[in-house]
Amino acid sequence: MTIPREVVELDDATLIERSLNEPEVFAALFDRHAPLLHRYVTRRLGTGEAEDVVADTFLAAFQRRGDYDRGRPDARPWLYGIASNVIGKRRRAEMNLYRAYIRSGVHPAEIPGGQVEDGINTLAVNRPLARALMRLTRADRDVLLLVAWAELSYQEVADALAIPLGTVASRLNRARHQIRQTLGEGEPAE
Amino acid sequence: MIMDALKTMGERIPPATPEDLAGARRRLLDGMHPRARRRVVTGPRLLVAAGVAAAAAVTPLIVGGTGTSAYAVSKSPDGTLTVTLTELRDPEGLEAELHKAGVKADVTFLPPGKACGVPRFVGADASYGGPPVDSVEEMREHVNTLRSFKAIRPSSGAFQIFPEYIKRGETLVLEFSDGENAQVLWRMGAWLAKADTPVEPCKPVPRLG
Repeated sequence: MTIPREVVELDDATLIERSLNEPEVFAALFDRHAPLLHRYVTRRLGTGEAEDVVADTFLAAFQRRGDYDRGRPDARPWLYGIASNVIGKRRRAEMNLYRAYIRSGVHPAEIPGGQVEDGINTLAVNRPLARALMRLTRADRDVLLLVAWAELSYQEVADALAIPLGTVASRLNRARHQIRQTLGEGEPAE
Repeated sequence: MIMDALKTMGERIPPATPEDLAGARRRLLDGMHPRARRRVVTGPRLLVAAGVAAAAAVTPLIVGGTGTSAYAVSKSPDGTLTVTLTELRDPEGLEAELHKAGVKADVTFLPPGKACGVPRFVGADASYGGPPVDSVEEMREHVNTLRSFKAIRPSSGAFQIFPEYIKRGETLVLEFSDGENAQVLWRMGAWLAKADTPVEPCKPVPRLG
C-alpha cells in the first residue's frame, strides 16, 4: 500500500474523511496512534490482551469512521473511547493484572530499571493502589485512567466517553476519594 | 499525590514498536479489504502534499507579489522562504518571485485530477522516479533523509523552502493541482531536478492515486 506524503502530515479529521473514499489512508491513523494506545491497553490489561484490543479498536473505528465528528482534529478521544468499551469487555483480564500487581508490586510488562529505592517505593505504593483500582466501578476507573495513563484532558475524556464535563469531574473526585480511603486502610497481610 | 502515584504505575512500559503492532495492523488491513485486495503502484511515486485551507501564522519580512496576488513569498532571517498560495494563478509570477529570493524554480499549476506526465526531468535524489513506497515508515524515512523533502515542507495553505538543502544549479520543480474541495486548496508535488539538467514542459495527464 502506498501512503502519500500528504497523509503523514494531515490532521486526524482530514485523514478520516479521506479514508471514506480511500480506505487505505486509515492505516496512517493506526500508525500514528497505535503505539501509545497499545501502551495504554498494556497498562490496563497486560501484554497478552493488548494486540487484540488494539486491533478490535481500530477495526471498530474503521467501520464507524463515517460518523466521525470532523470538527475534532485530534482523534485520540474517539479512539480511546472505543478502546474503553473494548477494555470493558475484558474485566477478568484487568482484575488478573491488578492481582499480579498485588502479588509482585510491578507490572508484568514493565522494563526493569530505575533506582533500587524507587523500586521499593513503587512496590509499596503499587500494591495498595492496585487493590484500590480493583474496587472502583468500571465507569470511575475509565475516567481516572484516561486522565492518569492516557493523559487525556477532562474535556477529551468527556468526548471519549460521551458524558458531560461535570460527570468527568465527579467521577474523578469519587475515584480519588475511594482510593484515598483504601490506601488509608493499610495493607492487609498477604 | 494519588495521580502522581498512579502515573508511575507501569510508566516504564514503552510505547509499542512496529513489531508489537504488526499483528494488529495486519488484522486492520485484512478487515479493510475483505478480499485481500492489494493495490500495486507502478511508475514513479506521486509524492504530494496538501495545502489545507486554514491560514498559517507567518510574519513576512519581505513580501513578494502584488496586493491582490494569488501568492505571497516571505523570507525569514534564517533564509527560509514561506510561500502562501491562495489561488493557482500566475505560475510565471511565482517563479519570478522565487528567483528574486534566490531559488531557481519551475512552477506548474494543474486542473483537478491532473498531473504532469513523467519523466520531465532527472531527479536529484530518489524522490522522483524511484520505486514505489509501501509503508508509512518507509515514507517517513524518505521524508527524513531525502534532500528534496528537506528542501520543502508543506504547512497549512502554505509551504516552506529551505534553500540550504538546494545545491547550486538544481531546479526546484513544483507541480500543483487543484485540491477540489474547500479543505484542501491544492495538492503539491515538489522535487529537486539534478543540477544543470533541463526540466521539460509539463504535459498534463490524469493523476494516478
